[in-house]
Amino acid sequence: MKIIEVENVSKIYRRYKKKEGIRGSIAGLVKREYEEKAAVRNMNLEVSEGEFLGLIGPNGAGKTTLIKMLTGIIAPTSGRLEVMGYYPNDLKNAFKQQYAVVMGQKSQLFFELTANDTLRLFQKIYDIPEKEYQENKAYFTELFGVKELMDVQVRTLSLGERMKLELMVALLHNPRILFLDEPTIGLDAIASRQIRRFLKEVNTDRGTTILLTSHYMEDIKTLCSRCVVVNHGSKLYDGDTAELFDCYQKSKKLTVTFTHPVAPGWPGGQGVLLEESPFKKVLLLPREEIGKALTAFMQLEPSDIIIEEEEIGAVVERVYQEGSEDICRNTQKSQERI
Amino acid sequence: MQRMKKIKKYLGVLKVLIALRFHNLMVFRMDFLAPFFIDGSLFLVQLLIFQAVYANVDTVGGWGSGEMILYIGTFSLLNAVSMLVCFFGIVTIPEKIRSGEMDLYLSKPISPLFRLTFEKVNPGSGLLVIMSILIIVYGAGKTEGSFTLKRVLAYLFWVTVMQILYYEMEVIIRSVSFYVVSAARISQLEEAGLDLCMKLPGIAFYGVYKVIFYFILPYGIMATLPVQSLIGEMTPSLAAMGIGVVGAFTLLTYLLWTRGIRHYNSVQGA
Repeated sequence: MKIIEVENVSKIYRRYKKKEGIRGSIAGLVKREYEEKAAVRNMNLEVSEGEFLGLIGPNGAGKTTLIKMLTGIIAPTSGRLEVMGYYPNDLKNAFKQQYAVVMGQKSQLFFELTANDTLRLFQKIYDIPEKEYQENKAYFTELFGVKELMDVQVRTLSLGERMKLELMVALLHNPRILFLDEPTIGLDAIASRQIRRFLKEVNTDRGTTILLTSHYMEDIKTLCSRCVVVNHGSKLYDGDTAELFDCYQKSKKLTVTFTHPVAPGWPGGQGVLLEESPFKKVLLLPREEIGKALTAFMQLEPSDIIIEEEEIGAVVERVYQEGSEDICRNTQKSQERI
Repeated sequence: MQRMKKIKKYLGVLKVLIALRFHNLMVFRMDFLAPFFIDGSLFLVQLLIFQAVYANVDTVGGWGSGEMILYIGTFSLLNAVSMLVCFFGIVTIPEKIRSGEMDLYLSKPISPLFRLTFEKVNPGSGLLVIMSILIIVYGAGKTEGSFTLKRVLAYLFWVTVMQILYYEMEVIIRSVSFYVVSAARISQLEEAGLDLCMKLPGIAFYGVYKVIFYFILPYGIMATLPVQSLIGEMTPSLAAMGIGVVGAFTLLTYLLWTRGIRHYNSVQGA
């Protein structure tokens, strides 16, 4: 069953263009020049109930704007939008009752009060019966492991702890759809991993449809079986996440550190040397070269080796440059969706 | 049945909002008491001006000092009730629009205006309400003439109606932020209008000023009509005019707010 249907949706913003200097300012008082910027352009998207969909794209790609349109916060300029059978910008309470949105950069917790205080307000706002409220609260307190944080002033919590509570507040009323806009932004590796584990559990155990935007490869790769790549407001890819990374993620970053000085350069293979000192080398290598490089470096007795995924921006850029040339033959299904 | 359920839900939210506000204010004691000291000082300034005026003139627009005390007390009551209940919430609307924080209000299944109205009640202003009532009682004592039950009820009716108008003006002025980037100048208009009309009753305005302060920035009628109803100066045409103005501003508030939240563009990239 399709829970979200987006058909040819665009969002155009109009912005004032001022010429440089005082003359430009004075001219702007009389006659203003505006330019139009498409934050989202002719977007088509369908999401089935229970899906975990990832939205990938660099800053300004239109991911957040799309989420805001899907939640009714802003209206589209043109196109057809339907979420759970509603047109979101009608802002019907019956519609808002069925979803939750968590924005990594905006908090819905009361900073001076405790999480329990915020939860009590949300119980009333979502009209949750007391028994269900207590059960859900107990479930999520256990899942997120936040029992000892419930009576602590929110202001005193770490970013990771706060995000767990944000998710708890959002999930308290059992929403059918959970919109997540950069939930792991600013979190350390451990907190991010925990958040990912909780989200996976909520999606599989509760059947909650989740739409996730993230800058982090790990979030998308771990959680979303399907992902949509967006850039400049347009959809570039819509399909299997594993296929996307197989086709477009071509490099990995290798950081090797030593306790003793080693000779400059690196033993054989391809790649780009990003950073070098007698005790450290950072390389960007083609994926298939990683094994060879590791074998070579092991002979130099390194103290530590870190292998990192390529940044999401690089993958998006590659999809943008190569997508239309059908580089990846296996993505035919995704191309059909676009 | 559905309506009763909705009312029950909103009352539940109201109760929690007030409770949370109390908890919050008790964390910051200064916030709890500051409005009383600041507004109490402003209130005293008004009284001093009033005393200075009546040391030189016998009447203002035909009203003697008793009626004027009633007027000042009534205006002060409208202001104090607003501060007690909604002002500190409503005043945050432009900033919430500018920063994109309004997103969090629009995505919840409750009227965003209801939440904004009641989320920053200010118990510190309760003392101002009491002071205003004492001034009204004192003014009533100084006024010549008798107050029948009918007049007192009419006075209470008009105070209630004008309290709604006062609230609507606050919302209208802040809703402008949905349509323009900066609405600071419009807030200054409100301040200037309030400042003038706290000192001068509507009956003192003539010509174009009367049009401005009765129909455009209707601060001129807010305390005037209740006092006129109490001292027996209310006429059917005056009452019809008052109801008409409040009706028109109610419609304007509704249109500006409902269109405003659909006009809202949030903040790009946040």
